[in-house]
Amino acid sequence: MKKLLLVSGLAALMGTSAMAETIGATIARFDDNFLTVMRNGMTEHAASLDGVDLQVEDATDDVAKQLDQINNFIASGVDAIIVNAVDTSATQAMTQAAESAGVPLVYVNREPANVDTLPENQAFVASNEIESGTLKAFQICRNLRGEGKAGGAKGYVLMGQLSNQAAVQRTKDVHDVVGMDMCNFMEIIDEQTAEWSRDKAQDLMTNWLSSGEEFDFVLANNDEMAIGAIQAMKASGIDMAAVQVGGVDATQDALVAMQSGDLDVTVFQDAHGQGAGSVDAALALARGEELDQKVYIPFKLVTPDNVADFLSRN
Amino acid sequence: MAEQSHGIGGLKYDKSKRSWPGEVNIFFALIIIILIFEALGQMLPYMRGQSMLFDFNTNRDGTILNIARIKIIILQVAIIGIIALGVTQVIISGGIDLSSGPLVGATAMIVMSFAQTELVNGQLNPKAVFGAWAFDLPVLIPVIVGLCFGAFIGAINGSLIAFTGIPPFIATLGMFLICRGIAQWWTRGQPVSFPTESYAWLGSGMMPVFWFLLLAFLFHFVLKFTVYGKHTYAIGSNEAAARMSGINVRRHKVMVYMIASMLAAFAAIILSSKNLTAQTGMGQFYELFAIAMAVIGGVSLTGGRGSIIGTVLGAMVFGVIQSGFTYIKLDAFYQLMAMGAIIISAVVLDQWRQKSAAAKA
Repeated sequence: MKKLLLVSGLAALMGTSAMAETIGATIARFDDNFLTVMRNGMTEHAASLDGVDLQVEDATDDVAKQLDQINNFIASGVDAIIVNAVDTSATQAMTQAAESAGVPLVYVNREPANVDTLPENQAFVASNEIESGTLKAFQICRNLRGEGKAGGAKGYVLMGQLSNQAAVQRTKDVHDVVGMDMCNFMEIIDEQTAEWSRDKAQDLMTNWLSSGEEFDFVLANNDEMAIGAIQAMKASGIDMAAVQVGGVDATQDALVAMQSGDLDVTVFQDAHGQGAGSVDAALALARGEELDQKVYIPFKLVTPDNVADFLSRN
Repeated sequence: MAEQSHGIGGLKYDKSKRSWPGEVNIFFALIIIILIFEALGQMLPYMRGQSMLFDFNTNRDGTILNIARIKIIILQVAIIGIIALGVTQVIISGGIDLSSGPLVGATAMIVMSFAQTELVNGQLNPKAVFGAWAFDLPVLIPVIVGLCFGAFIGAINGSLIAFTGIPPFIATLGMFLICRGIAQWWTRGQPVSFPTESYAWLGSGMMPVFWFLLLAFLFHFVLKFTVYGKHTYAIGSNEAAARMSGINVRRHKVMVYMIASMLAAFAAIILSSKNLTAQTGMGQFYELFAIAMAVIGGVSLTGGRGSIIGTVLGAMVFGVIQSGFTYIKLDAFYQLMAMGAIIISAVVLDQWRQKSAAAKA
């Protein structure tokens, strides 16, 4: 009896998996807010489609583990793989593993280093990272000019994890904007990493405040750090109207901070749309349909003027 | 030979063999580190002669001290410091607790779900975890939920170690993974934000420092003057002897781990209140920093030796280094390297001191 149950159970299991299209996804880390919204976009979209099984794994920011997960997906015979790369310079091995097994692969959110040499059945779905940091820093520059500070403004830059391409790129974007003729009145007093974290940003900002130096702007690589800096400044009694604060991501917490008049600029990256888009791209490749190899989902600038439009988006 | 004057029975008291309490050394180390940073501030050209702890030019706070910096030095270590108070007791009893960092993450997520406010800027809380019943609960409820969860995890840790005999390293390593999993599972990775005002008050401003010092004072007293404290040292020094002299070693171990986990859970409450949010990644590396604070503070990993005062000073060393690095604008990668080197050298120095003390005796 037991055996019969087991066999029929197994048969039922194999039956369903043979019917459905299976996608394996590996995400750089589960405990990142933005990636969580993206991951939810993937799972919700997959659940809304008939006969699509999505299995999501956490690479815990470990390159080697991520490659193992991809090989495990290949071994278990998935129809397509979605990769949110831990390290964008380590994607060649992943591309090769999937290519030699003939399994379609989609990179999502983080642009792989080999994006221009991807084989036929691989694609990339994301927003163009250069836009985000530039949009934010340029808007802060315009705001400062609008406040009549074009004669000279000083500020701080909060960086994400230094091993992460987005952190490096967004910081470089800030430097590029500050290097422009129109914005070269902006001077960076110091830039440090707060590892994307609100708590670390709070402590770092408080440390900066303790030097007593005057400043006009704070640019953070993401919203969590911008909020941390805001909390530290408010605790020290700084008038938030006198400081321009910019972040990236347009998270719920950040939009609320913007409504309260604390955060001045953030950039909306359609995390949910990227997640859903990656599932669509993976299915298209698995079915052999036509697909652009680079699918770009645009960034949008969020300021107090249009914040209401984004409240229910991320 | 030195002068010998006092003694009980046949034992002579030799002043030359008396060594300073270890805490004095850590205190001096702390002063030396501060002096190094002050010297760097004067020597490095881009610092323009700024001082770390003093503020001679602007007179912002009405004193010559840079009050803002002194505050942040303590504030940024207060929360990990609370965990370190528990870790200190675990290590003195001859164990180790690796699960405290992830426990902070898990507890923060759970507790914050019971501390949410209904309206944010006049709209419904966008991060609500439960239904309407869980909004605007009295602050005591999340706190009790958190402490119970901590006690529960600690009881499992302690029972595993006391009754199955598996090494504390393994038991708490397993719990490390379980708690990280709980933190991510609770809301499927979504952060939990927007607590009630009374909850936000718990960790606002310098409150973390208040809790840290209050708990440090409490557990200093407990370890020094209660039966619980004496038994903790006894078990850490020689477990077999402690058992034979009638101490219920198993029950005591469960108690030690429960207290440590409750302290970590309390740290999670303060941390989530300070940040007005709970995130699954919270508390990363806290267990290691808590252990490092205790060890720098002179707590011996072989058990039986150490004190709360030492751990508080160890935490202060961390705070001074952290603020000092930002003060001299040192880049992040050098910060990590220097931090590692300082931890190692602190323990090496302590070992030397112990050996020379042993040689004297």
